[in-house]
Amino acid sequence: MTATTLIPIGMGLIVLGAGLGIGKFAAAAAESIARQPEAADKITGAVNLPLFLLEGVAILAEVFTFLMLIL
Amino acid sequence: MILAASGKATTTVMEKVGPNIISHVSNTYKTDYPPILKIDPFMGIDFSITKHVLMLWLVSLIVSITIIIPIRRYLSSGSPVPSGWVNAIEAIVKFIRDSIARPNVGEKWVMTWAPVLLTFFFFILFANGIGMVPIFDVLGSINRFIIGVPYSDKYNTINTMLNGGVTATANFNVTGALATITFFSIMIAGIMAHGFTKHWKNLVPHGLAWPVYIILVPIEIMGLFVKPFALTMRLAANMTGGHIALLALLSLMAIFGEMFGSAVAGIGVSLVAVPMAAAIAGLEVIVVLVQAYVFTLLTAVFIGMAIHVHH
Repeated sequence: MTATTLIPIGMGLIVLGAGLGIGKFAAAAAESIARQPEAADKITGAVNLPLFLLEGVAILAEVFTFLMLIL
Repeated sequence: MILAASGKATTTVMEKVGPNIISHVSNTYKTDYPPILKIDPFMGIDFSITKHVLMLWLVSLIVSITIIIPIRRYLSSGSPVPSGWVNAIEAIVKFIRDSIARPNVGEKWVMTWAPVLLTFFFFILFANGIGMVPIFDVLGSINRFIIGVPYSDKYNTINTMLNGGVTATANFNVTGALATITFFSIMIAGIMAHGFTKHWKNLVPHGLAWPVYIILVPIEIMGLFVKPFALTMRLAANMTGGHIALLALLSLMAIFGEMFGSAVAGIGVSLVAVPMAAAIAGLEVIVVLVQAYVFTLLTAVFIGMAIHVHH
C-alpha cells in the first residue's frame, strides 16, 4: 500500500464526501420548494452559498491531493 | 502537440503525455520555453512578459472595448433607455446589483461596493471565457504546418505563446491578486462602517467568558486569511482542472495509437474521445459562468459579513 495506491483512494473519498453532502443539500432544497413553491427564489438563494463553499472545500482537497501525487 | 509527441523515436507517448499536459496549463517559466519578452529583474522582482501576463493584458483590452467603452458612450449620450448591446450589459448589471450586492451588503453601501463586484464579475467571466477559445493553438498550428517553424524552435514568439493554455485565471497568482483585493475590501468595508478599532473588535462575538477568547481569536484571525485563500484556490483549481480533463481525454488518441502500434486504433478512439471532449467543453462553459458568479457572490457575502456583524 504505497503512496501511489493510497492517494487516488483518497481522491475518491473526497468525491464521495462532496457528493453525499451536496446531495443532501439538493434533497432538502427540493423538498422545501415542494412544500412552498412561492419561496422558491429565497430557497435557491439560501442554498447557493453553502453549496459553493462545500464545492470549494472539495476542490481544495482535490488540488492538494493532486499536488501530493505530482510532487 | 499530439503529433509532435508521437513523432519522437526515443521516448514513448505515455511518458510524454503527462509533462505535455502539465506544460499546457502552466506558465512559460515552468517549461523550457523562455518568456515572450525577457525583462531583467528589477529590485528583485522579475517583470518578464510571460504567456499569462500577455493574456491578462488581452483580457483587459477586450473587457474595456466590449464593456467599458459602450457604457461610457451610452452614459454620455444622455438617452434614458439603452438599446442593443448596452441593454444586455444592463440586464447583467441589474442582476448582480439586485441579487448579489443588495441582499448581502445592505441598501446603504450598495453603491459603494457594487462597482468592485461588477469589475470582478466581468473580468473573471471574460478571463475564463477567453481561455476556452483555442486561438493560440490555431496560430501555433499555422505556425508549424504552414509557415514551417519547427516545434523545438524556442525563441519564436508564437511558439513561446503556444506552449500552454491561455486561461489567465488558471494561474493561482492571478486569482491570488483578485483575492487580495477581496481581503482589503473586507477590511475597508468594516472600517468604513464601524470605525477602525470597532471593526477588529467585531471579529469575535461579545459577551463570552474570557477563556473562550484565547481559542476564538486565533481561529478568527486564521479565518481572515483562509477565506481569500479558498477563493484563490477555488477559481484556479476549477479552471486548471477543466483544461487538464479536456487534454487528458484528447491524449487518449495518441496513447491508444501507440499502445496498439497502429494509427487506426487512434482514429477509432477519436470517435469516442472527441465527442466526449466536446461534451466536457460544454460543461466547462457552465463552470466558467458559475465560477465567475461564485467569486462575486462570496466577495459580496464576506463584505456583508464585515458590515452587518451577525454573531
